[in-house]
Amino acid sequence: MIALARAVPSSTHTGHRIASVVAALAGSLLLLFLFAPILELVATAGGDGVRKLATDEELRASLGLTAIAATIATVAGVVAATPLAYLLARYNFRGRAILAAIIDLPLLIPHPVAGIALLLVLGRESAVGGTLLDMGIRIVSAPAGIVCAMLFVSAPLYISGAREAFARVDPRYEAVARTLGDPAWRVFRRITLPLSRRGLVAASVVMWARAVSEFGSIVILTYNPKVASVLSYDRFTTFGLPEALPVAAVLVLLALIPLTLLRALRDDRGAAVGP
Amino acid sequence: MIEALGLSASVGAFALEDVSFVVPRSAYGVVIGPAGSGKTTLLETIAGITPHRAGTLRLNGADATALPPERRSIGLVYQHAYLFPHLSVEENVGYGATDPAFARDVSARIGASALAGRDVRSLSGGERQLVAIARALATRPSLLLLDEPFSALDPRRRSLVRREVRAIHREWGLTVLQVTHDFTEAGLLGDVAILLDAGRVLQYGPPEEVFRKPASPYIAEFLGAENVLAGTVRVLGDAAPDWLAGEGTSGAHYRAIEFHGGGLTISTVGDAPAGAAYAVIRAEEIVLSLDRGASSVRNSFTGVIEEVATLGALTRVTVRTGATPLVAALTTRSAHELELRAGMSIHASFKAMAVHLC
Repeated sequence: MIALARAVPSSTHTGHRIASVVAALAGSLLLLFLFAPILELVATAGGDGVRKLATDEELRASLGLTAIAATIATVAGVVAATPLAYLLARYNFRGRAILAAIIDLPLLIPHPVAGIALLLVLGRESAVGGTLLDMGIRIVSAPAGIVCAMLFVSAPLYISGAREAFARVDPRYEAVARTLGDPAWRVFRRITLPLSRRGLVAASVVMWARAVSEFGSIVILTYNPKVASVLSYDRFTTFGLPEALPVAAVLVLLALIPLTLLRALRDDRGAAVGP
Repeated sequence: MIEALGLSASVGAFALEDVSFVVPRSAYGVVIGPAGSGKTTLLETIAGITPHRAGTLRLNGADATALPPERRSIGLVYQHAYLFPHLSVEENVGYGATDPAFARDVSARIGASALAGRDVRSLSGGERQLVAIARALATRPSLLLLDEPFSALDPRRRSLVRREVRAIHREWGLTVLQVTHDFTEAGLLGDVAILLDAGRVLQYGPPEEVFRKPASPYIAEFLGAENVLAGTVRVLGDAAPDWLAGEGTSGAHYRAIEFHGGGLTISTVGDAPAGAAYAVIRAEEIVLSLDRGASSVRNSFTGVIEEVATLGALTRVTVRTGATPLVAALTTRSAHELELRAGMSIHASFKAMAVHLC
């Protein structure tokens, strides 16, 4: 009986060791798969890319355009989507699941398809696009088209992150603030926003990073002026790999900035905000 | 004044159903009930946080059913305090206050002013409760809703804060409704006790009445009455027997009743109809003695002690009398003086008026 009791933990221990080794091996292989191409790219063309930043005016203009368009798309997304995310986090209402599914849809459809869909709605032949053109606002083949495409593909990520950030704040904080005399909108400003701030900023960074990396829908809506992703594709198809490599390496290096910021925010965000 | 008239509300699968009670203006109401009975939901419905589904709520005489929380003049204190973690203790207390000096005074009275410089996240559970009480009072509400507000305080501090809240309640004419699990607290503080279970009010009234005259055996057992006997009532008649006057009743509307249950025949008085009933006798109403003596008490039974359990200053003694054990509570000092021990013979007696039929 004693021998049996000892044998069970021993076999369990061996099983745990095998599972640990398999998990470590699988994780290492995946890390290698993710890291090797990026490392190779930076090692091969990182130096050239940094030098090109100083000499290649088109690359600098493209990076500037990308950053500005992504920032405008992010600000527009944050302003428009924050109340929506709060609504989804706080209220149970009929059709909430359908609304959430519609919001997530742009994440699932191929991005060239997103570009085609946007072209249908915002193109000069469409009612909306035609009206905007009459008002002097050009979307297709203009920076506004880049912003629209970026907003379309990245806003769902912000909504998802913001919704999670709001959900982590215990609604009883808001309840207490209401009883202390604040109407709902003031409670949102004084309690909800400060308590969910880190999560909202993290969601904004994710949205911005996703907007910066967008290619598929932008290339259909606005090929020119070129954002960084379109420029690297253009250099590759026009001049071949040697010209595309430095641009691609610069994009990878610049991507480290929002990623580092995001990681810092996530590490600092901690647990849900409760009593 | 808090008047709930057929108030119903739902939170997920849980529902408050047809809740009606009145806590008069400037009275102190206590809500008691088992975990999950809807006590917090009731407070949140009164505060306007949980929307009502049906019924009417009147606060200080005015219909408040549709009023938003910020216009109900209510202070709400949760058991877990819910101090705003991004604000300092001082900012928490002053959050809704219109007069900072008044907020500081209230904070000092509650004993929270010494915490003013502290980070909210460094406070203990008890300290959080102090700050939460001060924060709720700093707005000078006309109604105060407290959800187990003293549960994390040490006994000495609990007694002090309880006394201070009671004093403020009297000075300001504040109407208070407090959720508590502590029956002693309910008896000490409450002018009105509301017993809630599964989202419904089982009984409400003065705490003395709720504790002494529970409306059902379930309530009696929940309220800690150890002796709940099932049996039958036999009405002896309107003509009061000679022992009725000796039980301290006027005899005007009381009838003499004989209750048979658990192998005992118990004499009592009241207006219970004949038939099946439950007799409730609180443990502290049963007197133990070594000799039967010449007591005028109608109910006296000889039995054998089964168990003597000492709980600090109180001792609970289980006495087997025929088929039914009776539990008596007496001071530990008395138990020592009587040299009570398991197996010894003892007399258990109680007045007819100490028996409540439900």
